[in-house]
Amino acid sequence: MSDPLFNTSLFNEFDRLQRQMSSVFGGLPTSIRASRFGTFPQVNLGSTDDSVEIVAFAPGIDPAKIEVTVDKGLLTISGERTRVDSPSEGRAYAQERFAGSFRRAMELPRDADPDKVKARYVNGCLVISVGKRETSRPRTISVQ
Amino acid sequence: MNTQTQLTERNSNAVARVDKEKAQKGPTVTPAVDIHEDAHGITLWADLPGVSRDRLNVHVQDRTLFIEGEAMVGTPEGLRLRHAEIREPRFERAFSLSTDFDTSKIEANLNDGVLKLIIPRREEAKPRRVEVSVG
Repeated sequence: MSDPLFNTSLFNEFDRLQRQMSSVFGGLPTSIRASRFGTFPQVNLGSTDDSVEIVAFAPGIDPAKIEVTVDKGLLTISGERTRVDSPSEGRAYAQERFAGSFRRAMELPRDADPDKVKARYVNGCLVISVGKRETSRPRTISVQ
Repeated sequence: MNTQTQLTERNSNAVARVDKEKAQKGPTVTPAVDIHEDAHGITLWADLPGVSRDRLNVHVQDRTLFIEGEAMVGTPEGLRLRHAEIREPRFERAFSLSTDFDTSKIEANLNDGVLKLIIPRREEAKPRRVEVSVG
């Protein structure tokens, strides 16, 4: 059953409210390591037995303009998102989508191999796969 | 006193109904949007990263526009999540449309995780200049 008046989830609305509040009061000092709420792109990180998988949710970016670098175990994703064809006439109502340059850095686990980095851009998601060193893979030891 | 009891009962039922619906569908993420209006209609951009064309559902029901999508990211087997900023892969947002818009002519275009919707204004609702004759 669709009920437009009550269909909005309260937590989603709080989420949005908090985002708006933090954009208004964003100048207040916070912990040096705390990333700003609503950073772009949002990142999920996971690992398997032989790789570290990073997914950056960065829709609407030209893949040629995304830069992925690995330096001393620090993986950095940077780039720029421009607001496409913003017409001069008319009125803009919502401007919630991120526009501008961005940079996100994350520390890779020590067993990650910086020579085995693969990145692909699918449906607006940047999927980065970092291989692990052979020596760090789990192995079973046969008991004699 | 009697009315009071009835009111309370009715409210608790309403809450229970919403909870049941939410439990079936699960929590969702509200996608960020840009909305721009000009003389021809409204253009809406929504960020839906990871949503492919077949997992996107845009529909209009009772003059409400629903955008629903499910993100699918190809990950290898046996992935253990360490850190997640997007926890729910489901996006959902609804907008009510006034009768000025022609919901049968909405154009939808999904490209690199960005949905672009063009909602045209009805011919008779387009702004027009009225010539004032002097006489």
